[in-house]
Amino acid sequence: MPRGRPLRGQNWGVQNVIERVLNLLIYLLESSRPVTADDVRYTVQGYDAQSDDAFHRMFERDKEVLRRLGVPIKQEALDVWEVDYGYTVDPEEYALVDLQLNQEERVALSIAAKMVRLGGSHLGLEALLKMGGVERGVGLEPVGADLGAGAEVLGSLFGALTERKEVTFAYKGSERRVRPYGIAHRRGHWYLAGGTDEGERVYRIDRIERLKVADKANSFKKPRAYDIKGAIDRHPWEAGSGDRIEAVVEFDPEVAWWAARTLGLSEPDDILQATIPVSNVDAFIGWVLSFGDQAEIVSPPEMREEVRRRVIGSMST
Amino acid sequence: MTSDRTVSRLARILALIPYVLERGSVEVDEIIEKFGYTPEQLSRDLDTVFVCGLPGYGPGDLMEAYISDHEVIVDAADYFSRAPRLTSTEALGLLSSGLTALGMGEESAALESAVAKLAKALMPDADAVTIDVLDDTANVGLLRKASVNRQVVSITYRSIAKEETTDRQIEPWAVAHTLGNWYVVGHCRLVDDERTFRIDRIRRIEVLDEQFDRPVGTTDPVIGYSPSDGDISCLIDLTDRALWVTDYYPVEVVEERDDGSTVRFWSSDPELAARLLIRLGDTGRLVEGEEVRSRLVALGESLLTRYS
Repeated sequence: MPRGRPLRGQNWGVQNVIERVLNLLIYLLESSRPVTADDVRYTVQGYDAQSDDAFHRMFERDKEVLRRLGVPIKQEALDVWEVDYGYTVDPEEYALVDLQLNQEERVALSIAAKMVRLGGSHLGLEALLKMGGVERGVGLEPVGADLGAGAEVLGSLFGALTERKEVTFAYKGSERRVRPYGIAHRRGHWYLAGGTDEGERVYRIDRIERLKVADKANSFKKPRAYDIKGAIDRHPWEAGSGDRIEAVVEFDPEVAWWAARTLGLSEPDDILQATIPVSNVDAFIGWVLSFGDQAEIVSPPEMREEVRRRVIGSMST
Repeated sequence: MTSDRTVSRLARILALIPYVLERGSVEVDEIIEKFGYTPEQLSRDLDTVFVCGLPGYGPGDLMEAYISDHEVIVDAADYFSRAPRLTSTEALGLLSSGLTALGMGEESAALESAVAKLAKALMPDADAVTIDVLDDTANVGLLRKASVNRQVVSITYRSIAKEETTDRQIEPWAVAHTLGNWYVVGHCRLVDDERTFRIDRIRRIEVLDEQFDRPVGTTDPVIGYSPSDGDISCLIDLTDRALWVTDYYPVEVVEERDDGSTVRFWSSDPELAARLLIRLGDTGRLVEGEEVRSRLVALGESLLTRYS
C-alpha cells in the first residue's frame, strides 16, 4: 500500500485551502458536541501558527466555502451572554437525499443538464456530480437553452420558497416584503410570484436588488388556489395594472404571418386585422412600432394620437 | 473571497469519495468520464485526500486514496460516505434543466419520471418552478430534427432589421434558445458564411434530402450580439424614463448622468435604431449617426401619413 507525502506542486495556497477545508469538515462531522473557534484553531491542521486576526479571517472564509458547497453549518451560543459560539454539522442534514433514480433517468437528466445553461454555466451538471456523476456515453445534442444570468439571486429565491421563508428586497426604488410562492421563466426572463400585504404580485427577478432571506422557516402557506402560470402574462402588454383596453391593429401582408404567430392566430393570406386586449399601453405601442410602418393601430383614437406624439417627439429633437 | 475554482475542486472531491467508497474500487476511466477529470487532476485530488483526515493526522487518522492497477481506491473515510446535499442553486439548476428539456418537446418517459422525482424531492409544490421556452413547437421541432440528422433545409426568412424576405438554404448546425427566443445557427449558402436566424421569423421550412458535415465544436452555440464590420452605430441620449433600453438592447453606456445616460447603439441596419427612437418619442434623442437620422426621418414621415 503506497503511503508517503505526495510532492507539492506550485499551487501551495490553493492546496492549503483545500486540505484545511477538508480537515475542518471532517472535524465538524465527527464532533459529537458543538466546537468553538478555539477548538478548531488548536485542533484542526492548517490553522495553527496564525495570528488572531489571520485565524478569524481564515475561519470565516472557510465556513463560507463550506456553505457554498452545500454544507449546513449550525451555529449556537454556548452561554447566555452569547460570547462564545459552537459550530456543528449534523451528518444527516449534510448528506444528499438519495432520489432513487434509475439508470435511464440518470441518462435523461445528464442529457438535459448538458443542454441547459443557467447563469452562464451548466449548473445541472454540478448537481449531477454530487448524485454520482454525469452518465457516460452521453454526447452533446445540437440543441441548447440559455436561461439567462443571475443564478445566485435565483438560487436564493428558490431556497427561500422551498423553505417557506419571507424575503425582502428593493424593487423599482422601494422596499418590498414578499412571501415567495413560485418562480417562472417566460419570454426570456425569470419572474418571482408571491404574496404581499397588498395582495399577490409578480416581480422581474433581474430587477431585484439587495435580496435578503428571513431566518424563520415555514413562516407562511401558499394559498391553495394560487396559479403561478396564470399570474404571469403571456405578452408584455398584458402586464400592468391599467384597465384593459381593446386595440385594433392592421398588419401589412409582409408581416401579417409573423404578427399572427406571435398572437397565436391562424396565418392570414393578406392583411391581418386583430383585436388585442391591452393593459400596458407603453409596451403595446413599442411592440407595434417594432413593425416599423408596416403596422397601424386603427383604434382607439387615443393610441393613434400617442403614436403621432411619439413620432413628432422623436423627429423634433 | 475564495475562488470558484477552489470551491469546484472541493465539490468534486466530496462527490468522488462517496462514489468510490460505495463501490470499494472503481476503474480510473469510469471516474474520469463520470466526474470530468483529466488523469492529472484525478491523481492530484487523490493525493490531497490522502493527506487529510481526523485530528492527530497520523497514518491511522488519514484517509486512504490512491490508484492501483487502473483502479481508484478510497478507504478510511466513513464520514464522507455520502455526498453533500445540493445547494439551492444546484437544485434549481438541475430541476430547470429537466423542466426545460421537457418544455422543448423532449419526448422521453425516463426524463418525465426523473423530473417528477426531482420535483417531489426538491420543491414544496409541483408548480413552484415553471419554465416556458416554446411558442413555436412545430418549426423548432423540424429544425432540431434536421440538425440532429444533418439535413440541409430551405427556408423563407424575414430579416429582423431589413425589411426583406429571402429564400435561402442553410446547414443547421444547432438550435438554441436564448432570452425568450429560439435561434438556428448554421452555414448559410446564400452568403456562404455562418449565420444565426430567429426561428419565429422563418416563414417556411422545407427539409431537403441532402446531408451536410457539421464542423467540430458547433453543437453548443452561445447566442449573443457582437458588432460586426458592416454594422452601424449611433449615439442616443436617454432620459431617466428611457433607461429600460439598457436592459433590452446590447448598448454601450458612454456617459451616465443624474437624469439619464448617453449610449452607443449598434445594429446591422439603421432601421432598428430608427424604430427604437420613435418608440422613445421625446424620452430619447439621437445625438450622432447620419444614416440613422435619415432613416428616422423617412420612417417618421411614413408613419405620420399613415396616422394622419
